[in-house]
Amino acid sequence: MRRALIAGSLILSAAMAASSPAAAPSIVGKEAPDFVLRGLDGRNLRLSEFRGQVVLVNFWSRSDGDSRQLMPALDRINITYQRAGLVVLGVSVDDDLRRSKEFAAAMGVSYPILFDTGTKIGKDYLLQKMPMTILVDRSGVVRYSAVGFKRGGESVYLDQIRELLRE
Amino acid sequence: MNFKHRMVSLMVCGALLSPAWMAMGETPPAPATADAPAADAPAPPASGAPPAELKTLDQEVQGLKKDVVDLNKDLFVLQEQLLFPANTQVALYISMDVGTFFALDSVTVKIDNKEVKNYLYTAREADALLKGGVQQIYLGNLKVGKHELVAFFSGKGPVERDYKRGATINFDKGVGAKYLELKITDRVPKHQPEFMIKDWE
Repeated sequence: MRRALIAGSLILSAAMAASSPAAAPSIVGKEAPDFVLRGLDGRNLRLSEFRGQVVLVNFWSRSDGDSRQLMPALDRINITYQRAGLVVLGVSVDDDLRRSKEFAAAMGVSYPILFDTGTKIGKDYLLQKMPMTILVDRSGVVRYSAVGFKRGGESVYLDQIRELLRE
Repeated sequence: MNFKHRMVSLMVCGALLSPAWMAMGETPPAPATADAPAADAPAPPASGAPPAELKTLDQEVQGLKKDVVDLNKDLFVLQEQLLFPANTQVALYISMDVGTFFALDSVTVKIDNKEVKNYLYTAREADALLKGGVQQIYLGNLKVGKHELVAFFSGKGPVERDYKRGATINFDKGVGAKYLELKITDRVPKHQPEFMIKDWE
C-alpha cells in the first residue's frame, strides 16, 4: 500500500513537472541593456540617452507577419503619446540589411527604425520570438515585456504606457 | 567570466554587504523593564522639529551612504588594477578639435590586425567631444613588445560627403601602462580633417 502511494505521488509530481513549463528567463525588473544602433535616417541612437523618458522598444523582423501588423499600431501609439514623453524605437533584427531598410522605408512609420545585424543585443534581451516589445521606465528599468501580437492587442500596451507616463 | 572577474565580483559583493553584517553583529537593545516607559514613539516637540533620535539616525544613514560610495570608488579602482594590471594595460583615448571639416560617426580600432573596438557616436556624444571632452574608447591588456594599432574614422567630411580615413601607429609596449590618444583636428590650409595617433601626454 505504502509503495503504491509513493509510486503514485512520484508519477503525479513527474506529470505536473512535465505539464508546467519551466519559467522562461525574463529581463523584466532589470536595467535595460544599453545599445547604440544606426537608424534609417542615418542617425545613431543610444538607448540610455532616453533616460528620463518612457521608452517602448519593439524588436521586429520583416519576414514575421505579427511584426508587420504591429508596426501601424505602434505608429498610432507614437503619434498619440509622443508629446506626453513616450519614445518608440523599432529595432530590426533581420540579417538582410538592404531589404529591411526598404521595408522600413515603405512602412513610413513616424518613429525611429534602427537596424541590428549582430547577435549581442538579441542575447542581452533574450530574444526568442518576434515581435518582442518591451517598455522601459524613466529610470531605465524594463517594466513590461510581451511577445507576439494579435490585431487589436495594443490596448495592453496602452494601459502599461499610461501607467509609466504617470509615474 | 574568467577567474579574475569572478574573484573581483565576489569581493565587491562582500564589501557591499559588510555594512549590513556589521549592523547585525551589534548587541540587541536591552529588554524593557517594568519601570521603563511604554514602547511608544516619543511625541514630537510642539515646534514640529524632528526628534533628536531621528536626527542622529539620519546622520548615521548619510554617513553610511557616504562610506558605501567611497568603498565603491575604491573597489572600482581596485577592480581596474586587477583586471588591467599596469604591466599589460593599454588605454586609448579620443579627442576632437574640429568643427568645420569633419562630423564623427564611428571609430573602429584594430590592434595587431584584430578588431578590439567599434564605437558608434550619437549626436550628443560627438558634440561632447567637440566641446573638449575626452573619451576612453578602449581599455585592454597587451603583452610586452611591438604592436600595431590601426584606427578607422567614419563620418561626414567637407561638403557633407561620406568620409573614411585611417591612422596607424607602431608602438612598443613596455612594462608600464601604455596610453595612446586618437586626435582629430582641422587642417585649415588644406580644408581637410587630420587624424593622428600619438602617445598620451
